[in-house]
Amino acid sequence: MSTFVEFQNVRKVYKTGEMEIEALHDVSFTIEKGEFCVIVGASGAGKTTILNILGGMDTLTEGAVWLDGSEISSYKRKQLTAYRRYDVGFVFQFYNLVQNLTAKENVELAAQICREPLDAEEVLRQVGLGERMKNFPAQLSGGEQQRVAIARALAKAPKILLCDEPTGALDYQTGKAVLALLQDTCRKKGMTVIVITHNSALAGMADRIITVRSGTIQSVRKNDHIVDVRDIEW
Amino acid sequence: MKKKMLRRTTLREIRGSMGRFLAILAIVALGVGFFCGVRITTPAMVNTMDRFWQEKQLYDYRLISTLGWEEDDVARFAAAEGVRDAEGSHTLDLLCHDKADNEFVLKAHSITKDVNLLTLTEGRMPTAGNECIMDAGMPGTLRVGDTVYIADGNEEDTLDALSHRAYTIVGAAHSSLYANFERGTTSLGNGSVSGYLYLPEDAWDVDYYSEIYVRFDADDVIYSKAYKDAMDARDPVWEQLTQTIAERRYDRLVADAQAELDDGRAELADKRAEGQQELDDAAQELADGKQKLDDAKEELADAEQELADAKKELDDAAKELADAKEELDSGEQELADAKQQIEDGQATLDDSEAQLLDGEAQISDGQAQIDAAAASLAENEAMVEAQAQVLEGKAAELAQALTMLDYLPDEQRQAVLAGQAEVEAGRVQIEQARAGLAAGRRELEAQQSLLDEKRAELADGWAQLEQGRADLADAQAQYDEGLAKWQDGKQAYEDGVKEYEDGLAKYEDGVKEYEDGKAEYADGVKDYEDGLAEYEDGKEEFDEKIADAEADIADAQQKIDDIDAPDTFVLDRGTNISYACFESDSQIVEQVARVFPIFFILVAALVCLTTMSRMVEEQRTQIGTLKALGYSEGDIMGKYMFYSGLAAVLGCVIGYAVGIVLFPTVIWRSYQLMYIPLRLHLVIDWGLAAAALGVSLLGSLGVTWISCRLELAETAAGLMRPKAPKAGKRVLLEHVPFIWNRLKFLHKVSIRNIFRYKGRFFMMVIGISGCTALLLTGFGLKDSVAGFADVQYGEIVTADASVVFKSDIGDTLPPALTAKLDAVTADYTLLHEASWDLVTKDKTKGMSVLVPLDGDAFADYMTLRTLDGDPLSLPADGEALVCNAIAERYGAVPGETILLRDEDMRELRVKVAGVFENHVYNYIILSPGTLASQLGEPAACNAAYLHFPEDADPYQAAATLAQEDKITTVSLFDEIRIRMGNMMKSLDLIVLVVILCAAGLAFIVLYDLTNINITERIREIATIKVLGFFRSETSAYVLRENLALTAVGTVCGLFLGIALHRFVIAQIIVDLVSFRVRILPLSFVWSVLLTIGFDLIVDLFMGLKLDRINMAESLKSVE
Repeated sequence: MSTFVEFQNVRKVYKTGEMEIEALHDVSFTIEKGEFCVIVGASGAGKTTILNILGGMDTLTEGAVWLDGSEISSYKRKQLTAYRRYDVGFVFQFYNLVQNLTAKENVELAAQICREPLDAEEVLRQVGLGERMKNFPAQLSGGEQQRVAIARALAKAPKILLCDEPTGALDYQTGKAVLALLQDTCRKKGMTVIVITHNSALAGMADRIITVRSGTIQSVRKNDHIVDVRDIEW
Repeated sequence: MKKKMLRRTTLREIRGSMGRFLAILAIVALGVGFFCGVRITTPAMVNTMDRFWQEKQLYDYRLISTLGWEEDDVARFAAAEGVRDAEGSHTLDLLCHDKADNEFVLKAHSITKDVNLLTLTEGRMPTAGNECIMDAGMPGTLRVGDTVYIADGNEEDTLDALSHRAYTIVGAAHSSLYANFERGTTSLGNGSVSGYLYLPEDAWDVDYYSEIYVRFDADDVIYSKAYKDAMDARDPVWEQLTQTIAERRYDRLVADAQAELDDGRAELADKRAEGQQELDDAAQELADGKQKLDDAKEELADAEQELADAKKELDDAAKELADAKEELDSGEQELADAKQQIEDGQATLDDSEAQLLDGEAQISDGQAQIDAAAASLAENEAMVEAQAQVLEGKAAELAQALTMLDYLPDEQRQAVLAGQAEVEAGRVQIEQARAGLAAGRRELEAQQSLLDEKRAELADGWAQLEQGRADLADAQAQYDEGLAKWQDGKQAYEDGVKEYEDGLAKYEDGVKEYEDGKAEYADGVKDYEDGLAEYEDGKEEFDEKIADAEADIADAQQKIDDIDAPDTFVLDRGTNISYACFESDSQIVEQVARVFPIFFILVAALVCLTTMSRMVEEQRTQIGTLKALGYSEGDIMGKYMFYSGLAAVLGCVIGYAVGIVLFPTVIWRSYQLMYIPLRLHLVIDWGLAAAALGVSLLGSLGVTWISCRLELAETAAGLMRPKAPKAGKRVLLEHVPFIWNRLKFLHKVSIRNIFRYKGRFFMMVIGISGCTALLLTGFGLKDSVAGFADVQYGEIVTADASVVFKSDIGDTLPPALTAKLDAVTADYTLLHEASWDLVTKDKTKGMSVLVPLDGDAFADYMTLRTLDGDPLSLPADGEALVCNAIAERYGAVPGETILLRDEDMRELRVKVAGVFENHVYNYIILSPGTLASQLGEPAACNAAYLHFPEDADPYQAAATLAQEDKITTVSLFDEIRIRMGNMMKSLDLIVLVVILCAAGLAFIVLYDLTNINITERIREIATIKVLGFFRSETSAYVLRENLALTAVGTVCGLFLGIALHRFVIAQIIVDLVSFRVRILPLSFVWSVLLTIGFDLIVDLFMGLKLDRINMAESLKSVE
């Protein structure tokens, strides 16, 4: 397997007024294509910043970030947008569905701006929501909403799927189901999936586990004993 | 302490959401500003005018009596209760001209000292009687320093009323009586008054006032209820007082006049008697003279007779003498003749005697001769007898011979035969001689007898001679006697001649004497006749004078008898055109003020409500936290109350401060074109300010309370939980798959979003439509107002100019004028123009009557069409076409019969046949036949409409025409169009204000709503940004809704704008001008473009805001 994602000495400084907060410091790691990667860290450790930078939502102060051979850290604003549009799929903690759109429409919202989107209904069926396509988010449970969000991300056929605490707002069982969906997606579609979580219990299901602490990478390790998510308890 | 923290968070809140805070502030400012500004405009205008009129002491009553007033009357009124000033004034309509002979009518007033004061704008006040002040607002060429001449064409009374015929303009002033551009009408000239003149008291030569102006000692605000009530209370009293004083003047006037007249009568009687006496004396003298003359005449006649007799006698004597002379002369002649005869007779007698003696001698001679002849004869007879014997002898010898003859030889026979012939011849000869001798004998015997006769005769002659001698002797005797007698006669004649000559000399003396007498007489007669003529003249003169005097007295009496009891008029300020006009004009703004602000208040409330709701919603968690921390609902609500209240108060203060200055100033400026220039006196209405503040506060606090109430009702825990997002909903359109399925996906999203928040939808539509409506109204206002002149002088009146002829032009144009018109114009048509009053049930209004004299040609100069654009034909006899303003304002609709009346109270009744579009002046078009048949005289030609040639400079041509003697006025329609256009330019200001307000409205609403929209949907926006929507796509995703709502609002706004425009135009009623309710397509375009433009500007700002949305931050949590 080849290096798919690479962070090279990434530094991120947030400026708020007079204050400078160094969110990331000398962050370097690689992720290979098709890996299920979990980035674990406490609140404020900088994992979301990593995700944001990788997702093209934020820029870095120093260093470089590569994805699939492209240096996204050098992208300009518009390139970043295009990058998000075509290469990245996001799944958020609070799903961030457009309330005014049905499940299917939420998927379509993402799909219709892509070059080769997957069929929205097909994707929804794949995530198990074949029957709920025409429901508005408010009519869906949290797990269902998250599945819509995943479907929305998948429909774009991204190079990489970034998930920020996808189970944070879900109950245990539902969270498990969602994680299972993500794992399946990774396994079945060969999609590179990166999941951010503060829950280190989830690390067991990952191919690669990156631990972040206080803005730096504490460890990067390959998981040799991958556990099915359904067997993980936390 | 806790409150302090709360306040701090509130202040931070304001700083943190400045846009939102400012939105509320701005919309409140706009609403309050607009509302108060428009509200306060009328009071400010009234205040300005009120100050002006107070300062100038505008009259309260104008008192008019048909008999005029005198100084004492003024004093009486001045002494009446409550009067500050009462002042008499002269007023006259004057026909004037300038030095270029341009004629115009001016209203002349006397300069009053205490009331109706003037505002001098230029020059100085008059100091001499021949100086005057001119109308500062007068159009035309008169300037300070010029001289204005009183035309000779004025009526005698008018000329008599003035002490000069020319006045030097020493200053220009605005009169408080003429606060607007109207100068009223007149019966002079063409009926329109060009301006006024103020003449000093010295300039007048009249002993009465035409009116008295009364100013009460009270300064109630014009048009105010207090003023009206005070005046209403005074009305009956003053009507009574005025009538009483006028009647007193009447009585006095009549009594004075009667007394004077009676004196005159007495004087006349005296004079008549005196004159008669003189005449009688003269007549007597004349009669005496006449008698003397008659006597002289008689004497002369006698003398003449005597002379005639003498003359006759003399003539007779002369005749006698002449006869005598003649007799004498003839006697002399006779005597001479007689003498001649006597002498002749003597001579004859002597001759006769001689002759007789001769005769005797002759007779003797003759006897002797006869005797000798008888002797000779006897000898010859003897000789012949002798010869005859010889011959007979021979004859006998021969006779023998003859018997033997035949025997004889031839020679003897020959000789015998010859002797025979000789004998025969001798015989004949003898016979002849014998005959001769017999004849001689006979002759001798005759001569003897003759001689004997002569002898007898001679004897008679002797006898006669003797007789003659006797006669002659008698004649001589007779002659002598006659001569003696003649000589006696001659003597007598000569005596007679002498006597006659003496008589003649005497006669001639008598004649001379007579001639002298006659001449003397003739002189006497002449003297007499002169005297008589003089007398006759004198008498005639006397009679005449007496008759005149009697007629005068009769007239005077008649006049006194004719003096009607005076009619009095107590006219209040309402009868002053400018006072009345200003009231209605200032009301217009108030009318308009009633509609406009509703928008702003509505929108302000909506903006406030939406904003506060959103704010409260956003801060659920914070509210919940505060609540959980133990802050009371009141404290929490106080925060929002403070927020919105502060915005409202600040907005209100700013809005009020700007509004009450901006609106009255701008509107006042636009009114300046109709009123005299005055500096606006702003009004600060604290009541209104308090009300505005109250409403703003109440409104903002109210909506804040409404917004907070629901949230605060929830428990702290509930509040801390994120509020369930508003559920998505399908819209109606989705049930129409036919359309829905064809829509682009993002459009569907937008449509659904639009209908997601109904409140915002309506607020947006109301705001945007209000903006568009305002814009459209503003532009439309300009189109209607600015356009009316263009339409009037571009489409309706197509002539280039009009000329007015002098009134004495007559029925036909003088050839010189025709030639001039032909030379200068391309073509022209003649008209009759006149000013008539349209009399309706409740009002009388002056109208311009146009009578095209050449109906066919008129269409080339004026387009007659209905408001809908249908062509109209000229009216038939007895019909009229009226312009739309007349139809609208005076109800003269087709089919109605209208009554027209002119200055001489002549009336015309015509049926309205049609209503034509017209925007400037009030025209009624009649046919010449209508005037001819109803007035009994043909319509005089006094004006013309004309076209100039294409290449001519109209100003040049107009100037050329104006120089023509018979042309008084030349009006270029294009000039009027431009002037009116310029006048209306000030409306641009109003339009600009409206546009600015509209823009403000649009910005605030769009900004606020979009802002709310964005903050509310920030997560959604962040999501789509994360999903990789490009910048433009993101903007479109969010702002497409704005565009759609703007479109809906704009469409609504267009309809609303049309209605609003109609309403506003309907409120603006300007006399003589009828605005065309029209909005040009371009205005629609501009309104739409500007609205969209405002939206785009807002979108631009919002786009920046969208850019600033931090995806990562927004997505992380639910606040």
